[in-house]
Amino acid sequence: MTVNVYSVPVFFIVFRETLEVSIIVAVLLAFLKQTLNGPNRDVAVYRRLVRQVWMGVAIGVLISLIIAGAFIGVFYKLGRNHWAPTEYFWEGSFALLASIIITIMGAALLRISKMQEKWRVKLAKAMEAKAVTGGSSGGRFKRWCEKYAMFILPLVTVLREGIEAVVFIAGVSFSASPTSIPLPVVIGTVAGSIIGYIIYKGGASAKLQYFLVISTCLLYLVGAGLFSKAVWYFEAQKWNNEVGGDAAEVGVGAGSYDITKSVWHLNVSSPYIKGGGGWGIFNGILGWQNSATYGSVISYNIYWIFIIGLFLSMRYNEVKGHWPMMGGKKVAGETRPQDVVINITASDSTGSDIADHETRAKTVAKVCTIDL
Amino acid sequence: MAISLSCLPLVAMLLPIFTHLAEAATVTYDFNITWVLANPDGAFVRPTIGINNQWPPPIMRVTKGDTVIVNVENSLGNQTTTLHFHGLYMNGSTHMDGPYHVTQCGIAPGVKFKYNFTVDQPGTYWYHSHAKGQYPDGLRAPLIVDDPDSPFKGMYDEEYVLSVSDWYHDQMATLIPHFINRRNPKGAEPVPNAALLNDTQGLQVPIQAGKTYLFHMVNMGAFAGQYIWFEEHNISIIEVDGIYTEPANAERIYLTAAQRCSFLLTAKNDTNSNFPFVSSMDTTLFDKIPEGLNWNVSGWLLYDQSKPLPDAAIILEDSFQEFDDYTLVPYDKEPLFPDPDQSITLEVVMSNLGDGANYAFFNNISYAPPIVPTLYTVMTAGATAANTQVYGDYTHSFVLGKDEVIEIVVNNNDPGKHPFHLHGHAFQAVWRSDRDAGNFNETALVSVSDFPAAPMRRDTFAVHPNGNIVLRFKADNPGVWLFHCHIEWHVDSGLIATMVEAPLELQRTLSIPQDHYDSCVVDGTPVKGNAAGNIINLLDLTGQNAPPGPLPEGFTTRGAVALGFSILSAFTSIAVISWYGLADI
Repeated sequence: MTVNVYSVPVFFIVFRETLEVSIIVAVLLAFLKQTLNGPNRDVAVYRRLVRQVWMGVAIGVLISLIIAGAFIGVFYKLGRNHWAPTEYFWEGSFALLASIIITIMGAALLRISKMQEKWRVKLAKAMEAKAVTGGSSGGRFKRWCEKYAMFILPLVTVLREGIEAVVFIAGVSFSASPTSIPLPVVIGTVAGSIIGYIIYKGGASAKLQYFLVISTCLLYLVGAGLFSKAVWYFEAQKWNNEVGGDAAEVGVGAGSYDITKSVWHLNVSSPYIKGGGGWGIFNGILGWQNSATYGSVISYNIYWIFIIGLFLSMRYNEVKGHWPMMGGKKVAGETRPQDVVINITASDSTGSDIADHETRAKTVAKVCTIDL
Repeated sequence: MAISLSCLPLVAMLLPIFTHLAEAATVTYDFNITWVLANPDGAFVRPTIGINNQWPPPIMRVTKGDTVIVNVENSLGNQTTTLHFHGLYMNGSTHMDGPYHVTQCGIAPGVKFKYNFTVDQPGTYWYHSHAKGQYPDGLRAPLIVDDPDSPFKGMYDEEYVLSVSDWYHDQMATLIPHFINRRNPKGAEPVPNAALLNDTQGLQVPIQAGKTYLFHMVNMGAFAGQYIWFEEHNISIIEVDGIYTEPANAERIYLTAAQRCSFLLTAKNDTNSNFPFVSSMDTTLFDKIPEGLNWNVSGWLLYDQSKPLPDAAIILEDSFQEFDDYTLVPYDKEPLFPDPDQSITLEVVMSNLGDGANYAFFNNISYAPPIVPTLYTVMTAGATAANTQVYGDYTHSFVLGKDEVIEIVVNNNDPGKHPFHLHGHAFQAVWRSDRDAGNFNETALVSVSDFPAAPMRRDTFAVHPNGNIVLRFKADNPGVWLFHCHIEWHVDSGLIATMVEAPLELQRTLSIPQDHYDSCVVDGTPVKGNAAGNIINLLDLTGQNAPPGPLPEGFTTRGAVALGFSILSAFTSIAVISWYGLADI
């Protein structure tokens, strides 16, 4: 008598979620290594931030496990219906939050090498800032976020992925025997982590600028997918409520989606049925849906249009000194900090070794208040 | 009766004359269809459709041989109506049968319409609206045809008419749009709110000890089949759907929607107690059983008014052993029809169409009513009336030759029980499979020797979930007759086929009165031409009524464009990001 010890859907779910987390963690760690553990190292800050990343992951895992435990307990007691009315609402909110964080961070990442000094100083400054007295609560919150950004992003990501994994595994595990769950969980986690490690290794040693461009593109692909998925989740939740929870039972055929909002619907390639398989990974990284709505497609494209606009504007700002359609606000006699920093580094080649400028940069840092 | 013997020869001569005169009576009903507020289950006052400002509508009672005239006036104000006299063959008067846009136009508000037909068949029937899912709003009542020559005459002392029905608190105008809706993709039928006996609850039927009673029972419901039993009394079935049967003893019977049954009930010899009788709705078809739903209704055989009224005993549904009507033997023992001249196979399928809602199909066709009533197409299509194409793609019409033996095989590809009804005929129920038997396959599993020599006959017969039934009848009644599931929800979602029986004969013999055509003028319904109203090219069906188109499969143009554009945006953005990232500052 063969005992099923390997549930394929569970493997794909765990692999997918781990992969998403690994990508983000690997990019962050590689970035930190490049900027703070390279030739211009600040080991203390580096170690602190690395610890932040791992703390974010660990606490995220912990909270996910707690929520998972609570969820399973409540679920077995009260039945699935309790969760269903808001399940996708939570998913969508987390996805939206993660998307926003990625968007903000990605924009900053690309200017790292140019402003390595500035970033390093900034990070060091943020680290050294003790209890901040005074200032608006909004300002304090902003500074807290900056200080712990390396903690927050992994935390939110792990939370999202962890909860998603638990929900999907719970959904799938009814058809699977208990013996078939542990092994694929372990293997899925390991497989996802290996890929993350490869990204880290590759990213940590590659020419910084290329690594940053590739990883930023990857991050934005994930971010666009997340934004689209957030809208999709909200619409799906609304539909599930309208149909009265029937949509899940109908599987992937007619009735599992709102025909009036559908742009395309395929009965195959669902990222949600039976763990999703390869399509689940497609969904995780690129936001692929087998049943796309106007909302999910339009939001996806709006995100990219926004990104294009943002980057074009940022470049315009760098070149012209002011944002497009706003006149230059230079007041005579005032030098803007960016100009100073940029001017210093522009005379160097775009390399990672600017040790001889350390002294000069430090002087500049004392003179100007560097604000992004 | 005390008659002196000397008068006997005279009386014997006169009797035939008197009975002959009695047979020729004309019974006239004036029905003014109106809204009436009613609260039959004591739980909810709602508007119902009544007659002459009364609800429940009156029981029609005529004698075999009578001519019946029903003058209908629609005073509803906001709904069209028609009347169908369920089970009456309408021989020679198919235009009086009643279904909307099959044998007549709708009777619009304010319009008058006269039904005029002769009843030559005894038994228990009922009349109800046959327009747009209307009758569950209340326009239904029993119709009894008395038979002075009944083979069971003298075997009973008194008669009772007993109707059972499911009941909804909401109007059909509210329920139907929720039912046929993309938000109801599995086609879950609305669950009734109550069950009624004689359109009320707590019915008490006075019974005298030692007497035998003839009960005429009708299930006038929209949806629910009903299990019916009388505690501590057995019953003897003598008629179903107007067909007399060999008396059959039963403890509990099952009536699907639209079925009727007459039975004899012999009262006990003492009046020590009263006995409850129960009608219990078949909940297997209910999508969900809401909290607080009481799917039973009980009444009492009242032997003694002073004695208490005991509660009905609770019986688990699993132990219901109801009488199988397939085993009945018709009293006249009409032999099984020989090999059919035409065999029609219909598969019941439920599926979704392009508006996302769930529809019912026979094979791959979901019914949509024609623009011109099918009977009027028959009358105006000349020789082309024998070509099924003229009746449209969605009326699912079959042309039957005069006096042909027709066989209908219904394969039920749905996990629900369906009661199928044929207008204009009582058919032989030649075969019914068990549930989950799949499709009927005569050569493999069932042979003609499995068919009964004198099969039971009725006009409404149930098929089990995922099972099959075989019905046979003789096409000896020229007319346009619907064949459909009598669950009103499935009528609304398209589980209908049309039997066009001897159309050329109809053209020769039928004459439709002017007031029928006049009723069509009010809502602008054309009365000539094919299903699309085309009188020039009868085979051109452009513009015919159709159900929604199919659901798109896979990528449509819209989908491909959307996906392509999204991929383009992603690539463009990546290019911009890379450009920004690699730019020299």
